[in-house]
Amino acid sequence: MTLHASALSDTSTGEQSRLLSELMAHCGSDGSLVAVQFTKDGILTVWIKRQYLRDVLRHVKSELSRPFPMLFDLSATDERLRRNHEGLPIGAFTVFYHLFSFDRNQSLRIKVALDDESLALPSSIDLWPNADWYEREIFDMFGIRFEGHPFLRRLLMPSWWEGFPLRKDHPSRATEVGLFQLPPEKLVMTQDALQFKPEEWGLPRTYHDRDSDFDYMFINLGPAHTGTHGVLRLVAQLAGEEIVNIVPDIGFHHRSQEKIAERQTWHTFIPYTDRIDYLQGVLNEMPYCLAVERLAGITVPPRAQAIRVMMSEFYRIASHLVWYGTFAGDVGALSPVFYMFNDRERILSIVEAVCGGRMHPNWLRIGGVARELPIGWDQLVRQFIDWFPGRLDDYERLVMDNPILKQRTVGIGVLSREDAIAWGATGPMLRACGLPWDLRKVRPYSGYEQFDFEVPTASNGDCYDRAVVHMLELRQSLRIIRQCLEAMPSGPYTSLDPLATPPLKQHTLQDIETLINHFVGVSWGPVLPPGEAEVATESSKGQTSYYLTSDGSQFSYRTRIRTPSFAHIQMVPLMAKGELLSDLLAVLGSVDYVLSDVDR
Amino acid sequence: MTEWRNGRLEGVRVTEGGDGPLTSVVGQSVLFAKLQDLLAWGRKNSLWPLNFGLSCCFVEMATSFTSVYDVARFGAEVARGSPRQADVLVVSGTVFLKVAPVIKQLYEQMLEPRWVISMGSCSNSGGMFDAYSVVQGVDKFIPVDVYMPGCPPSPHAFMECLLLLQSMVGSERRPLSVHFGPQDVQRPIMPSMRDAKRAERMSQREYPSIDVLPRTDLLSPHFAGQPGGRSKGQS
Repeated sequence: MTLHASALSDTSTGEQSRLLSELMAHCGSDGSLVAVQFTKDGILTVWIKRQYLRDVLRHVKSELSRPFPMLFDLSATDERLRRNHEGLPIGAFTVFYHLFSFDRNQSLRIKVALDDESLALPSSIDLWPNADWYEREIFDMFGIRFEGHPFLRRLLMPSWWEGFPLRKDHPSRATEVGLFQLPPEKLVMTQDALQFKPEEWGLPRTYHDRDSDFDYMFINLGPAHTGTHGVLRLVAQLAGEEIVNIVPDIGFHHRSQEKIAERQTWHTFIPYTDRIDYLQGVLNEMPYCLAVERLAGITVPPRAQAIRVMMSEFYRIASHLVWYGTFAGDVGALSPVFYMFNDRERILSIVEAVCGGRMHPNWLRIGGVARELPIGWDQLVRQFIDWFPGRLDDYERLVMDNPILKQRTVGIGVLSREDAIAWGATGPMLRACGLPWDLRKVRPYSGYEQFDFEVPTASNGDCYDRAVVHMLELRQSLRIIRQCLEAMPSGPYTSLDPLATPPLKQHTLQDIETLINHFVGVSWGPVLPPGEAEVATESSKGQTSYYLTSDGSQFSYRTRIRTPSFAHIQMVPLMAKGELLSDLLAVLGSVDYVLSDVDR
Repeated sequence: MTEWRNGRLEGVRVTEGGDGPLTSVVGQSVLFAKLQDLLAWGRKNSLWPLNFGLSCCFVEMATSFTSVYDVARFGAEVARGSPRQADVLVVSGTVFLKVAPVIKQLYEQMLEPRWVISMGSCSNSGGMFDAYSVVQGVDKFIPVDVYMPGCPPSPHAFMECLLLLQSMVGSERRPLSVHFGPQDVQRPIMPSMRDAKRAERMSQREYPSIDVLPRTDLLSPHFAGQPGGRSKGQS
């Protein structure tokens, strides 16, 4: 095995070496561990030989002391155009498993190199059930097969699509593929491709009950349905009114963000991150900018950090309010959404005053934020946070105390804590099961460790408890905003680091080197040193993470975006099985998701 | 004095035996209009949108339905879940390859007369998503009546386009019967708003500062768009 020495001295910590020695005790002797990579994010990354993959995964899942029970992310990289190999055993493709341990509060990344000839790996569905969609996504995007996967077929792209979009030889732009047309025969073909056939999903059409045979009923919900909050499609298998199984169909909102990231500069990808989860603006930009800054080694000044935190919390409130109103609407309360959009409009007024945009603020920059806060911001913020708690009291009486809402949500869609962890649930979904896990608290970033706030939890993991957690989080966000208001640090709003983009304009007037640096940074884009960094943050719906690979150019070599909604939508069948059809909408409503966050 | 109040014509006394001032009664309760004008007026003021959303733009569209903006003022708040009951298809967001046949089918399920608003850059032209999975504009497979720029357009923009569509629908003339009269639809030629507003845009000389906010009352009932008013050219 080889160690990458320079990186080792750079970020190796005691935690990493302890975990590494535990791993070496198991798999160091048989040669399954090929190399250790120390990435800039401080996550231990080990390269495993393909034939030992199952053994190592099983070991870290169950045999290791303080094991890794959650598959946080699973995806792949096309390495064929990679120039900087950094002494690593890089093949044609790399598949990486990002595992997480709550006991250790630590991540582990396991990488497997694959060659061109045999693009196949054993499936790990039996270890982590949520590997299902991640493996299908890899098959869809890279053409890597997973042996033992029961339904290995396209997930995001339509079934008639040819080619594997995230391979480097696949075109990125629609304008490279040719004009889109929809002649009648193609319309028929594409509509036929959307037909649901129960046999393809292993679902029987009939069942036997009390000495006679009955037909299951298959109900198609979406992609154009008011209850799915966007273009999501669910096919429910019903016995009477009881849900036997559900097959979600996603990909109707696939905007190929990960591919676009490979052609935008580090700086010009920021507006795209806004649209990953279009309800939470700055909260999307946060993990991306933090990861870029980690790659570039930029330290963000305290004022910029506090501005980021304040705007993030405003967006968290705005996103929760949309969720709260639509959730109440889903279970039959029509009026709350009008109150909540009214409040959201007030938040968007503040956001517009500060950032200039409403839903897509494009406000964070590499190294800081876009500009100084406008004079008078504090008056707006103070007025809002003084007034909003009273509204929250009203909402509790209006929504949470409502007996109809309680009847429709208490005890419905129950998720156990074990299931939540096994299926990769994060954010309010996980906290509703009683686990106080909030990245702002347990792995603080952007100065969250300086704020005084609590992590609300609930205990039952049902639809009502998820609403309770959201409701309490609104108050905690207000607390954080108030602390930002009272103690906003002074100082620059962006870093003076040469890689911070765009650099401060006034410095360009001093000497020609700074002017050239400014010109290159703005026109060409900053060139980041080769390396890898992943940053996960607590967004409104759960943990969002950006895993960036730089090959030493102004573009990202690979950007992996792990979103919470993807994991949560995958769990809908689990939560809805055994409930009645009408409860499906309560379950869907309680899962805080946005379709652009699911399909990216 | 006679006036229309609480759904009744008040102040008119119809005397027993019908010998009252007939001309005043008839004049105030009967409206003379051409039938096709009346129908166009009815269509114009009851444009029911299909409750169908694609992405970010749909949130702004939904926002315009809520109390701050309230498209009910224009008779367009009745969002229908079924395309067969809807008049307007608002393509609010990115048109994805996988959802294109669905949009096409929804459009075909809508009954004539039907109109299409293309909301936002993605739906107009693909916008910033020139990507393999995105159709570069919904007009590649269905006709569009109003194009709305923006990413996403604000609720104000949605309402402006709705009013534009209303003015078009109000001046459209459609055949009254298959048995007589011209059978074609007479559509007005709608002006390009980019050209129509050019003079106003070019005459703007003062731009509000983005460094100093105007004093704003968030709690006032008219708060919407106040701080953001600067982006609309007012302080």
